[in-house]
Amino acid sequence: MELQLALALPVHNSVKGFDLNDGGIESKEPVASRLWSYGGSLESKKCLKNKRSSEEAFGKMGGGVPQIFPLMVWSGQPNEEDDRKGQNRKTSSIVNKNEVEENHVVGWPPIKSWMKKQLHQQQQQQHHQAGRVKNDGVAERSGGRNSLYVKVKMEGVAIARKIDLRLFHSYQALTNTLISMFDKEQKFDKNGVNYTLTYQDKEGDWLLAGDVPWQTFIESVQRLGILRNGG
Amino acid sequence: MKMMMGSSFPEEVLEHVFSFIERDKDRNAISTVCQSWYEIERWSRRRVFVGNCYAVSPAILIKRFPDVRCLELKGKPHFADFNLVPEGWGAYVAPWIAAASSAYPWLEEIRLKRMVIPDDSLELISKSFKNFKVLVLSSCEGFSTEGLAAIAANCRNLRELDLRESEVEDLNQSSGHWLSHFPDNYTSLVSLNIACLNSDVSFTALERLVGRCPNLRTLRLNRAVPLDRLAILLRRAPQLVELGTGEASDLRPDVLSNLSGAFSRCKELKNLSGFWDVAPGYLTGVYPICPRLTSLNLSYAATIQSSDLIKLVSQCQNLQKLWVLDYIEDLGLEALAASCKDLRELRVFPSEPFGVEPNVLLTEQGLVSVSEGCPKLHSVLYFCRQMSNDALRTIARNRPNMTRFRLCIIEPRTPDYLTLESLDMGFGAIVEHCKDLRRLSLSGLLTDRVFEYIGTYGKKLEMLSVAFAGDSDLGLHHILSGCENLRKLEIRDCPFGDKALLANAAKLETMRSLWMSSCSVSFGACKLLGQKMPMLNVEVIDERGPPDSRPESCPVEKLYIYRTVSGPRLDMPGFVWTKDEDSALGLS
Repeated sequence: MELQLALALPVHNSVKGFDLNDGGIESKEPVASRLWSYGGSLESKKCLKNKRSSEEAFGKMGGGVPQIFPLMVWSGQPNEEDDRKGQNRKTSSIVNKNEVEENHVVGWPPIKSWMKKQLHQQQQQQHHQAGRVKNDGVAERSGGRNSLYVKVKMEGVAIARKIDLRLFHSYQALTNTLISMFDKEQKFDKNGVNYTLTYQDKEGDWLLAGDVPWQTFIESVQRLGILRNGG
Repeated sequence: MKMMMGSSFPEEVLEHVFSFIERDKDRNAISTVCQSWYEIERWSRRRVFVGNCYAVSPAILIKRFPDVRCLELKGKPHFADFNLVPEGWGAYVAPWIAAASSAYPWLEEIRLKRMVIPDDSLELISKSFKNFKVLVLSSCEGFSTEGLAAIAANCRNLRELDLRESEVEDLNQSSGHWLSHFPDNYTSLVSLNIACLNSDVSFTALERLVGRCPNLRTLRLNRAVPLDRLAILLRRAPQLVELGTGEASDLRPDVLSNLSGAFSRCKELKNLSGFWDVAPGYLTGVYPICPRLTSLNLSYAATIQSSDLIKLVSQCQNLQKLWVLDYIEDLGLEALAASCKDLRELRVFPSEPFGVEPNVLLTEQGLVSVSEGCPKLHSVLYFCRQMSNDALRTIARNRPNMTRFRLCIIEPRTPDYLTLESLDMGFGAIVEHCKDLRRLSLSGLLTDRVFEYIGTYGKKLEMLSVAFAGDSDLGLHHILSGCENLRKLEIRDCPFGDKALLANAAKLETMRSLWMSSCSVSFGACKLLGQKMPMLNVEVIDERGPPDSRPESCPVEKLYIYRTVSGPRLDMPGFVWTKDEDSALGLS
């Protein structure tokens, strides 16, 4: 929900001076009291859009909007459905969040989540194949919007994880995340000196991570490996 | 001269006559003739379609139509497909199922779209309706494979189980599988669509099920069913008419030849979909059946490029419907136009919707080619990155028989790439020439003028989708005052505000619904509308908190207005505001 709030902010930047978290969207208790509106004329100017080019076309509309409106009541109700659903829909909501992160405009272009997911999954798989670049040659170059998922395999751990390299801009950030990701599996030395980060490049060779600039690394990395330093 | 009164016919005769009248519009019309016709009609109505589940309540429905056998409900607004409707908004079907379980013991069919259906409801369905035959859940959510297991176990007469693009939680990770809950003596399956299931399917259960259901016509598998298994299934069900393959990446020669053989034995196969992870060579296995195909959905085939697509479609001379990714490119669409003269519907989806640069050679030209070469083309959904007024004019003149035209130019507010003008004239040509146009989606750079054209010419228009367009309220006013048959209007990110809405308030009662998000409609106007129009529910959806905490002139985030005979709904979440039921009682 928080993520959605951040992106659901309206385009109208003229809403100044108001605490947008007023009331809180997470509150789920029913509001027993009626909320009466007040004459908003003092503040209304701040919210008016500039364009009113059709004044002439419409003229007055029955004297404009009356001041007092005891008609709209905040009918917030406890949202049991949400809670239950939140538990059940782990996997699908995670995927949705990733999609939302990808683009700035929510819901544009208008493609169903289902389809986005299908394309995304297939494009990920294409990327994993060592040394293979997508047929149209545009792999990760297109925009900055595509994510760059690579597999991360830690020595001695049966299950590989996946990580979106687009989320990072430096080796440090990457290693920090990897440490917390695999923290449960192994005991990390404070300086991380027990482990070495390697990667497989486009040619299929395994190299030490950190030797080339981050941007170069990003363009050629196919998968990551974490090796235990011999003891 | 004596007038024959309707009531002088025996009821049974009238009922028999009415049984030939199926369309809702016609049934609604005959029910207005006189009281006795109304009564006979309502007792004999078997099929009900509720386009907005909040427009009427289960109680009202049951009261009027006591013996319904087929119920179809739609819930969330269309823009929910694109994540514009926050989670928890509503569209809960549970109260409907609960009411139907006691009122309609003979219910046979339930079709839901964009609704939330919990496992409990699925179980209730499976136990309440002895003759239950058809369950279609389109873009639904809230249920898991547990619910599906109940359906499988209890619905002895089930014919159709179609989960079209729904979100299903898989709870049968390890032991047991919901498919194996179909009893061994269950043989009536005609249609099964499980393409949306993410996890593995018990292949043994599936194979046995397919093998014992001789009437199976439609089988849409999910991605987890591999190619070599597909051949086995096809051999069990050579009578299939519609098939959705699973993933198709395994391209061992023996697998391919096995599959080709199986395909060629399916003499009735006309409709193909699926094709996830397709290894291009796999398509050669499909060539033998291409001439029979009338419908092909390649919109998930992210691995097939232009040349293979061209080879494929060139052999599908009887194709009527094609859904494909933009990998087909202009060249492929030219081939399509040359080979598929019976084409009725084309949808081209973007392979990289969020890329900034074009990744394929697909432009307006592809659509122009198809509009020229395919005389029966009437339904189009097209994603592209450039368009011109010229092209739109050409398309309009080529295809005056167009009924659905949805164009999505990926970058908002993109002008005509040749002249850098708005695309007003192009879309104007579409509405002017295509006199039977029922559905239209706009995109690109558009001023109020395009809405003037739409209001003037779009007399048959029923559904309009608008995004990032227009200059002022005049635009919205043109639509609402001009489009006589408008039922659904959905708008996002347009500078439309209070004036046009309030001036055309009465129009809203003639429509199913209006959606506006990121526009300029103020909370004050919403309140006024809610107050003045008792037959409308005006829902303000705003995740910033109570609108009362902001000035009335502040624009709302999202607005959903729909006509209803059952008043404000009682299941609204915290971020939805609407008029209070007792508002009529006045101020305190």
